[in-house]
Amino acid sequence: MRFIPSIMIICCIGIVSSMTACVTATVQEVREANTGMSSNDSIVVLGRRHRPTPAETELDFVACVSKKMSKGSQGVKVIGEQEFMDAMFPWFEPRTAPVYTSDLPEIMSQPALAKRLEEIGLRYLVWIDGNTQRTESSGSMTCSITMAGAGCFGFLSWENDSSYEASIWDVKTGSAVGKVSSDATGTSYMPAIVVPVPLIARVKAQACNTLAGQLVNFLVDES
Amino acid sequence: MTMPRMTMKACIGLLLAATLSACSGGATIEVPTQFPVPLVQPLPLTIGLHLDKSLTEYVHKEAIEARGNWRIILGPAQKPMFDSLLQGLFTGVEFVDDPLAPNDGIAGVLHPSIEELQFSTPQQTHTEYFEVWIKYKFILYDNNGVALGDWELTAYGKANEGNYGMKSKEPALQAAAFAACRDAMAFFTLEFQKVPTVKNWLQSALKEGRT
Repeated sequence: MRFIPSIMIICCIGIVSSMTACVTATVQEVREANTGMSSNDSIVVLGRRHRPTPAETELDFVACVSKKMSKGSQGVKVIGEQEFMDAMFPWFEPRTAPVYTSDLPEIMSQPALAKRLEEIGLRYLVWIDGNTQRTESSGSMTCSITMAGAGCFGFLSWENDSSYEASIWDVKTGSAVGKVSSDATGTSYMPAIVVPVPLIARVKAQACNTLAGQLVNFLVDES
Repeated sequence: MTMPRMTMKACIGLLLAATLSACSGGATIEVPTQFPVPLVQPLPLTIGLHLDKSLTEYVHKEAIEARGNWRIILGPAQKPMFDSLLQGLFTGVEFVDDPLAPNDGIAGVLHPSIEELQFSTPQQTHTEYFEVWIKYKFILYDNNGVALGDWELTAYGKANEGNYGMKSKEPALQAAAFAACRDAMAFFTLEFQKVPTVKNWLQSALKEGRT
């Protein structure tokens, strides 16, 4: 009989964790040139870190896009951001990274760098700009702990807004081939009567999924 | 009944202690010691590297009012950092104890030192960033122990505390200090040949075919 409350708690946690609030996501692309990848080609996804950037792209978002792009039936070969920066050091550091495609030829004129890029088969550089911000929050919640127990009461809600843009550079031609942008918004809720029940809108995760999916389509489709 | 009560008291005590420790300021971090080797065409010279204790044991200590005591342990990272840097830039690197002693086996000796380190916390700047500035000074000696000149380099590193979860203070400051070290390496790699002292020294060293 002692197992019943434990099972109930586990069930409740399971149900609550599976409940999420709604997210609205849109994705757009602008194509400037033809793309396509062979089996030996690889790509790297990099966050913009040069100064001054008041809101740089989160490390976990860049890692998420890289991971999602390498998974699935259409998955492409993706080099990790840190691994790439170490292998290409110091050419993609915040101080030295190319800001415009017109900066690429100068960097590519470094024989050691050009050789390394060829070795790893890098075909596309994907630069990500943007981040996720909390745009609105309201409500209040009070929690207290006493000898008799602990509990919370109240209601919280907050809105998150993700806005990311990926610029795709073709390393072979030294030109920009297009842009893919992903925007997502969603409101999370947390009502609490003794136990807070979070209904989280997974805005950043949704933006990551849509951006990664669209990027793969953009690069793999030979159009 | 006493056991659950005691457990509850212990839990509350632990919770309070955790809250207090999270709220208390200050941190001690040590900069990682793994650095990449610059990807450039190395100069066909062997350079001497003199690192004194003031550099290899460098610790920045700062007390910030109402924010506690902060310590950035930078010294242990300096040897691997300069070793990796010069391994990429020259075909040979040799550690030397005395930069003033003549040495025919090398083309010259580089003596780096830290002039100043500054850092800022997100609370101070009202941003999400820990920022670190390191001002290095370099003295270049020829292989006869004659000081040819010196120059300074200011490196900068930042890290967004939002990238490091709930306990972001230590990892974010560490990342900012590490980024400043990498920035120093990147800046040195791209700019050192443009420093007039280095330019003149390189011209004569390469002309004379010093090793």
